[in-house]
Amino acid sequence: MNLLTEAITWIADNPGQFNRALGQHLLMSISAIVIALSIGLPLAIIIIRSRLMATLAVNSVNALRTLPSLAILAIMMPILGIGLWPSIVALTILALPPILINAYIGLRDVDPDAVEAATGMGMSERQILRKIRIPLAAPAMFAGLRTASVQVLAGATLAPFIGGGGLGDFIAVGIAGMNQSRLLVGAVPIAILALGTEFLLGQTERVLFGERRAA
Amino acid sequence: MITMKDVSKRFEGTGAAAVDNLTLEIPNGITVALVGPSGCGKTTTMRMINRLIDPTSGTITVNGQDVRTVDAVQFRRHIGYVIQQVGLFPHMTVAQNIASVPRLLNWDNRRIEARNQELMQLVGLPADMLQRYPRQLSGGQRQRVGVARALAADPPVLLMDEPFGAIDPIARTRLQNEFKQILARVKKTVVMVTHDIDEAVRLGDRIAIMRNGRIQQYDTPETILSKPADAFIENFVGADRALKRLSLFTVADVMSREAPNPALPSIAEDVDLRDALSAMVAARADRMTVVDKDGTTTGTITQTAILAA
Repeated sequence: MNLLTEAITWIADNPGQFNRALGQHLLMSISAIVIALSIGLPLAIIIIRSRLMATLAVNSVNALRTLPSLAILAIMMPILGIGLWPSIVALTILALPPILINAYIGLRDVDPDAVEAATGMGMSERQILRKIRIPLAAPAMFAGLRTASVQVLAGATLAPFIGGGGLGDFIAVGIAGMNQSRLLVGAVPIAILALGTEFLLGQTERVLFGERRAA
Repeated sequence: MITMKDVSKRFEGTGAAAVDNLTLEIPNGITVALVGPSGCGKTTTMRMINRLIDPTSGTITVNGQDVRTVDAVQFRRHIGYVIQQVGLFPHMTVAQNIASVPRLLNWDNRRIEARNQELMQLVGLPADMLQRYPRQLSGGQRQRVGVARALAADPPVLLMDEPFGAIDPIARTRLQNEFKQILARVKKTVVMVTHDIDEAVRLGDRIAIMRNGRIQQYDTPETILSKPADAFIENFVGADRALKRLSLFTVADVMSREAPNPALPSIAEDVDLRDALSAMVAARADRMTVVDKDGTTTGTITQTAILAA
């Protein structure tokens, strides 16, 4: 408890440094999520048309998923150097698998009877996508966003290893200097961010899609 | 009128044709039941009418128009389509489901609203159900919504694929009778696929019995049951075909105006002859008093008259 008090005191005494780290952390994470969404969702819509493309995309993304977060960050260093951008790229790679795979499976597994009925009543492929597939896949897409967000917020902790900054800086400094209270300055807010995001997005999901769950 | 002339369909990688040189004429305003065992080609035949499947050869016309010359997507908006699992859109309310085709046809909101009310009345559902979601409805209610959706833009032709297949047997007969009344009111040309000969007899003005991609017999239910064309059909319609045929007539069709003996048990005019015969057997009576729906005696029915029907 003493350590925690020390950590809070440190934050109170160094608001500028803490807020900058928090800002970097959020900037990295949100940028990565936005980029992953703008790649993953359109890609999912493209690959449902072709079994070959789908297999290819899902397998490559799955292969990416098996890489540890630290390894992804490490690979980025020789390619993109150090700093914020390499971290954002690495986090995007981390966020892409859950977003793409959830969206793809959601779009693919839409009730075939609804699609059959839509085709039979005279909707074009594009209308079926827009009016049936995407709305019905929305909960799965949202679940992908939720998983990705938590992974990215936690994964961003490793960004200091390639000079990306963020709340992970305090953990790195804390470990290096054997300063446990400094370590908590990074670790506790990261845990709160991850848990809070999970909770908030979970609630949002319930509000958005609750009414259509089976009775 | 729907015509199919020398229509065949072969699916890639299969030996026999799913539909084999089929010719069929369906006059306007009647209900045709395509019936047969699974794999006989009945569903393929129906799906070729709205071009969900394109035939390998042959010509199909709907009201004089060759279906291959029209834009399939636009064309389907003018043909109602009902499937077994209904396929209501779970993320839309009943109102939005029913309005699907009118929206595709760019109707204005006021017209859609009015049509929704009209359709709910037609299929016998309360108007406040329009705001519900499909998961909040029973199977029978969903199927009614499915029919309302198919009829929304008032298409001249309605295609139904096993429309009662997912309904439990007790509710099914009631729903079938209601649908018969709905269909009589809307005067559509209906093509219905079913594997159930009883359903075909109950709803069809004509029945086409299919086997191996061909039509074995195309006739009124009465003729199919009284004069099955071959052993396959005789077997398919069942050993009780004589009784099934009786269900096509009612007491009012064969009763006499002869004054009844007041001691006889009574039966209503609108009971079908199959049930009437059953009632006579149960009562061990060879004649019964006929009463109308107000309970007034109107005549007599005899077993002999039923057997002569």
